[in-house]
Amino acid sequence: MRTYLRLVWAVARKDLLVELRTHERLTAMGAFVVLIGVLFNFSIDTALVRPQDIAAALIWMTIIFGGMLGLGNTFRLEQEDGALSGILQSPIPLDALYLGKVLGNFILLSVMVALVFAVFGLFFSLQFSGNPIALLGVVVFGVVGFVSLTTLFSAMATRSSMGENLLPVLVFPLLIPVVVYGTTATDRLFAGRPVAEVSGNLRMLLAFAIIFTVAGAGLFRFVIEE
Amino acid sequence: MNQKQIRWAIGVLGALGVATVLVLHGMVFFWVPTESTMGIVQRIFYIHVPAWWIAFLAFGLVALCSAVYLWLGDERLDRAAVAAAEAGMIFTTIGLLTGPLWGRVAWGTWWEWEPRLTLALILWFIYLGYFLVRRSTVNPEQGKRFAAVVGIIGVLDIPLIHVSVTWLRSLHPQAVILSAENPMNLDGSMGATISVGLLAFTLVFASLFLARYAVGGYEHELDLRDASPGSIQGAEA
Repeated sequence: MRTYLRLVWAVARKDLLVELRTHERLTAMGAFVVLIGVLFNFSIDTALVRPQDIAAALIWMTIIFGGMLGLGNTFRLEQEDGALSGILQSPIPLDALYLGKVLGNFILLSVMVALVFAVFGLFFSLQFSGNPIALLGVVVFGVVGFVSLTTLFSAMATRSSMGENLLPVLVFPLLIPVVVYGTTATDRLFAGRPVAEVSGNLRMLLAFAIIFTVAGAGLFRFVIEE
Repeated sequence: MNQKQIRWAIGVLGALGVATVLVLHGMVFFWVPTESTMGIVQRIFYIHVPAWWIAFLAFGLVALCSAVYLWLGDERLDRAAVAAAEAGMIFTTIGLLTGPLWGRVAWGTWWEWEPRLTLALILWFIYLGYFLVRRSTVNPEQGKRFAAVVGIIGVLDIPLIHVSVTWLRSLHPQAVILSAENPMNLDGSMGATISVGLLAFTLVFASLFLARYAVGGYEHELDLRDASPGSIQGAEA
């Protein structure tokens, strides 16, 4: 078990080190988040609509579109120069490779999500009076579900002639539960509603995260093998 | 089943299916009484509901065949999955077209985010993803595996999507007095008509499924011949 977890961490650490040195994905996602905040500012008539009322929707749409930008490149590095063949020849179990990728993507996306909340809080003067631990739970479970699904399909998209264009078509329909439960829970927490009102949302987001992380780990070998 | 038996079954099921569809239309237009609340537009119900039933039956078949295909690697299961997907896509499209026609009169709007219609739209996109990913790889075997994974992930997500959309709708006031979930109390003739509709569409689906399965078999034979050393393509390879 310990060896397995070390392998998972080795994969995640490799991706995070590459990202720290190149800043490719973080830069793209970060710029996207800020620019989307700017565009939303111009697209909302604040005389008619209170940004606070639609903050949850804006935040989750930004997380999903921004996340898609970064997660689409999950396997790009391995695809170049045939590095993927090398990894497949190594004794690492394929599900450990998948979970390592998911862990690395989750950490990257967490940084982006923190930026999303900061940018939208700043641009739209959002007030938060709810339970921060509950909000953290909503975000963590939602992001894990999103990342597990997108990492699996990113491996497919990398090997497809359609490339990253395929990813939104595959992933967006399947993300509806994350969007529904994530935005409604975030909305209620921003409005200061009690945690009991979002406990169902938390359970469903956790169920989604568990189901698709397990399914992804089981199905990954059919996607990555040549 | 050998090819001759499959062709025979296609013919019989197809003929029975077409005959039952004709009987269904006769019942819909000339026999079943008009529903008292929604009037004549309610007759779309006898087409819309069976189409929706087949769409989900087909997708269940796609997921089952895909899972067993990944497990056993038998290409006949992949052929069955793609046959079910193509036929299922047809019926999903029928459901998506008939739903708004009904909704325009029943709800006063072409589209309503009613849970089943929403789920049918999502299912259509999952089918689309299935076909896109299947055809987008250089290696056809890889495309088959990818499509199988999409089918399995899709069937895992469908119940979650349905629960989430239904829950979200329950938060908002209903747009109409009568919802699609509880359209009416069916009397005997309406129950008989919907049963004939279900039978008709199931027979047509079975015929389409077998026909596409048979075509898949011929395609597979051609691929094998092209790849064999004795063939021109095989020699070139």
